[in-house]
Amino acid sequence: MIAPQATETKHWSFHTDIENIGWLTINSPGGSVNVLSREAIMELETLVARFEDLANSKELVGVVLLSGKESGFIAGADVAEFDAMSDFSVLPEALRRTHALFARIENLKIPFVAGIHGFCLGGGLELALACHYRIAVNDDKTRVGFPEVNLGIFPGFGGTGRSIRQAGPVDAMQIMLTGKMLKAGAARGLNLVDKLVRHRDMLRWEGRKAVLQNRKSQPAGFAKRAMAGPLLRDYVANKMREEVGKKANRVNYPAPYALIELFEKHGNDWQAMVRGEVDAFVPLMGSPTATNLRRVFFMSEGLKKQGLKGAKFSRVHVIGAGVMGGDIAAWCAYRGMSVTLQDLDMARIQPALDRAKKLFQKRYKKKREVDAAMLRLTADPQGNGVPRADVIIEAVVENLEVKQSIFSGVEGKLKPGAILATNTSSIELERIAEALKEPGRLIGLHFFNPVAQLPLVEVIKSKFNSDEAIGKGASFALAIGKSPVVVKSAPGFLVNRVLMPYMLGAVERVERGESKELLDAAAVAFGMPMGPIELMDTVGLDVGKSVATELGHAVPSDSKFARLIAEGKLGRKTNEGFYKWENGKAVKGSTPPHADLVALGRELVKPLVDMTEVVLSEGVVANADLADVGVIMGTGFAPFLGGPLRARADGRA
Amino acid sequence: MTELKRVAIVGSARIPFARGGTAYADETNLSLLATTLGGLADKYGLKGEKVDEVIAGAVINHSRDFNIAREALLDAGFSPRTPGTTLQIACGTSLQAALVLAGKIASGQIDSGVAAGSDTVSDSPIVFGSKFQHRLLAANAAKTGGQKFKAFTKGFSFGELTPVAPSVNEPRTGMSMGQHCELMAREWGISRRAQDELAAASHQNAAKAYDEGFHDDLLVQCAGLVRDNNVRADSNLDKLSTLKPSFDKTSGHGTLTAGNSTPLTDGASSVLLASEEWAKARGLPILAYLTVGRVAGNDFAHGDGLLMAPTIAVSEMLDRAGLGFADIDYFELHEAFAAQVLCTLKAWKDPTYCKDVLGRDSVLGEIDPAKINVKGSSLAYGHPFAATGARILGVTAKLLSEQANKRALISVCTAGGMGVAALVESAA
Repeated sequence: MIAPQATETKHWSFHTDIENIGWLTINSPGGSVNVLSREAIMELETLVARFEDLANSKELVGVVLLSGKESGFIAGADVAEFDAMSDFSVLPEALRRTHALFARIENLKIPFVAGIHGFCLGGGLELALACHYRIAVNDDKTRVGFPEVNLGIFPGFGGTGRSIRQAGPVDAMQIMLTGKMLKAGAARGLNLVDKLVRHRDMLRWEGRKAVLQNRKSQPAGFAKRAMAGPLLRDYVANKMREEVGKKANRVNYPAPYALIELFEKHGNDWQAMVRGEVDAFVPLMGSPTATNLRRVFFMSEGLKKQGLKGAKFSRVHVIGAGVMGGDIAAWCAYRGMSVTLQDLDMARIQPALDRAKKLFQKRYKKKREVDAAMLRLTADPQGNGVPRADVIIEAVVENLEVKQSIFSGVEGKLKPGAILATNTSSIELERIAEALKEPGRLIGLHFFNPVAQLPLVEVIKSKFNSDEAIGKGASFALAIGKSPVVVKSAPGFLVNRVLMPYMLGAVERVERGESKELLDAAAVAFGMPMGPIELMDTVGLDVGKSVATELGHAVPSDSKFARLIAEGKLGRKTNEGFYKWENGKAVKGSTPPHADLVALGRELVKPLVDMTEVVLSEGVVANADLADVGVIMGTGFAPFLGGPLRARADGRA
Repeated sequence: MTELKRVAIVGSARIPFARGGTAYADETNLSLLATTLGGLADKYGLKGEKVDEVIAGAVINHSRDFNIAREALLDAGFSPRTPGTTLQIACGTSLQAALVLAGKIASGQIDSGVAAGSDTVSDSPIVFGSKFQHRLLAANAAKTGGQKFKAFTKGFSFGELTPVAPSVNEPRTGMSMGQHCELMAREWGISRRAQDELAAASHQNAAKAYDEGFHDDLLVQCAGLVRDNNVRADSNLDKLSTLKPSFDKTSGHGTLTAGNSTPLTDGASSVLLASEEWAKARGLPILAYLTVGRVAGNDFAHGDGLLMAPTIAVSEMLDRAGLGFADIDYFELHEAFAAQVLCTLKAWKDPTYCKDVLGRDSVLGEIDPAKINVKGSSLAYGHPFAATGARILGVTAKLLSEQANKRALISVCTAGGMGVAALVESAA
């Protein structure tokens, strides 16, 4: 066959075909995803210069950009380079160079078409937006979006302006401010993609057609653009600030606010927005927030690598349909597992099924999705699911004998290789495992309440466990979309252990007469998602007390804490604890004024940070990174501080 | 001629079946079939691999999926070198596909093949009537604007725009399957109670099979659905007896209800067949052997029961194989309607029918109900027309893989007065 033009670089391959269409494929070396590294961009510069020449000599009628990876198009710029790139002497120049390259692609006289499947995120989407036409595969795997905000920055390769050009200001800002990843249909709806095809095979043929027909994407219509017009822009910007303000404050998370300011200045002119982007972007990249968020990103990516290759799970059996057991079962079903939920009788299982239905109704748009999810969750009072399950999770009352008898009852019936796990939060794993013929089989999978919201699962390792058993547990946590942190079996493990002194410390201050509203506000100002008193109410005072006792903290019987429990005021679940609760919200009085809320918050959080150091020194977690990411995911500890240990090292906690 | 090879059933995969308009309302025939074939490929390590042939079909099909077998196997990730043939014989589609492949494997033409079928009533092609269709074609062929205008307007009436949904009514009689089956039930004197009993047994057997985990390795998740949504563990005579007749609502003789007839169902299923050498070389199991098959038709337009042809297919097949009912351990009789199965059973023990229609001197005989549809059948699982044959073949192969020296008989009735039958034997 004739291949008049063929080039192979480290990241790209290019050839022209018999119709003079150029086929450009990105294939990042040494990984399963494509990233736009600086090297890839430099190579692309050379290639684009070639395209310009070939276009001038009419040897090239158009270019179709595709990915050579199964996983998707391009996942973004190379985050691993960001630390080095943050340097003020490098960053502006590097950004301008990429801006210039993308502008050259945009200015090519021949059509330049992107064919997208799988992930098309961040810098990858920015490159796609610089193309003249975008085709995407309409399947479940396609994801289009700008996750930059999660890394403390915003799009920096011209994506701010180009996304506004395509989607209009409101929708474009919305996806940049939230980091939301769109499915193919939604991306088409926002005009970020021009055409959908059914299968990846069709990308090249639709790409060919787009080149030969010289198709050009159309910018957003007038009605959409009007929202960035002079009359509305201030209003729209303030509205956005209001929305962002509900989730993140300006001091700790400057990126969304900086993006809104950029929009305020240039939102009506996409090219001006692109030009203004570099100056607004540069200060963010090296900020402590961005640096810490990158660290959290890498640590959580690291957690994903703990899984064993080829581990597959499809059936889960949960024993115990109380709050934790029922919610774990519902979550597993939500994530596509076939789940059997066992308890003594239907009366105990039904409330869990009802709660599951509520979760599904909240998360799914369509009734048929809810129905399908309900079919994945089966009440199983007889325990028929045991011999068929890939994973068995026990979540019954915290009673050693009960747990031991359950596990010795099921041990003989298990499928070979099935995971046997307990959700105990306070009983040492070894003591439960002793009742088993194969004690090495039992691991801990410690979920957090509310299961649907907290991403962490502590994978508890007893002295009997092999690395493989623990790896399997981590794989399962990943399979249900949770982040596993391996923790040694020790009272309170990681999260409860560090939370308790912090929560009890705050309770004690309330006992001494301090304002609970003030303490909660201070913790939030510091960067916690919720104050310690509100957290105690949410967890449940009875649960808090039992964990506290387990960990050796005294709860004096004449304390307000003990009194509330005695009166059955257990917090949110009984509509009253330290706070009164209405419609799932704490009714708070006014917060007394305080000169330095952040400093007070820091004081409150100190015991948590101290305990994290202790837990690390005792070897409960393997290293400081795991401790930091575990505490962030288990407690919501201020991610912009990079976790308790990082914050202390930086003198910020 | 060389000696015939044995045809191994390596295994099967299907998506859960769903009542029409429920879990698969956003799916297409093609996506259902592709998901099924993808699941089969995953299960047996065939992603990117070439299988000698895929033969599959759908009864209600879009013209855009004119060769749905080929499109689906490409979507599923088989090697593009795998050819795909679309074949259709109504509800017998995927069983007939298996028999065609089995013949090719037995004679050494191919070493491996996938038989599959898919149907959905949630993605029915709805078209214009033939008048407007011809008008559009004429307009398309017209050369000038004037001609086009004329083609569109001449003799036009708005009634032409009424969309036409696909019909599964019998073309020669204009009657639905259910109406035909009502006639059969009356002719053979099949009581409402007998039909309801069969339906309840089907649901109970199917529910039991689920609880035993029989289906765990046969099902592939699709659109979030992990199990058939028609199976009712709590089905019983009391409930079934309260239902009103569905097809004959007025005469007072109606006995077929929504409970003892199959519901409109979406689903797809597939079976992997191979020569023993091919299976062994890949380290794949042999669950059972597909040994004989037979397709037959009857004169339904002149009085034979529309769904009675399986009696002929089974009789002719057994005759050729030199076997009788006594040689069969399991009967997998597709339950289009409970009445259909019951008429068939009655016919096989009716001397006149066996003589006049089957040409037998003596009856085929009685079948012990305990041998029939032991894992439940279409009344419980539902009946996505073209998918049913492969579902039954997959279930039968797994059933026989658990026991040595057993033989199972499969029969499926189809529209158009036809029936497809097959024999499956234990590998051990």
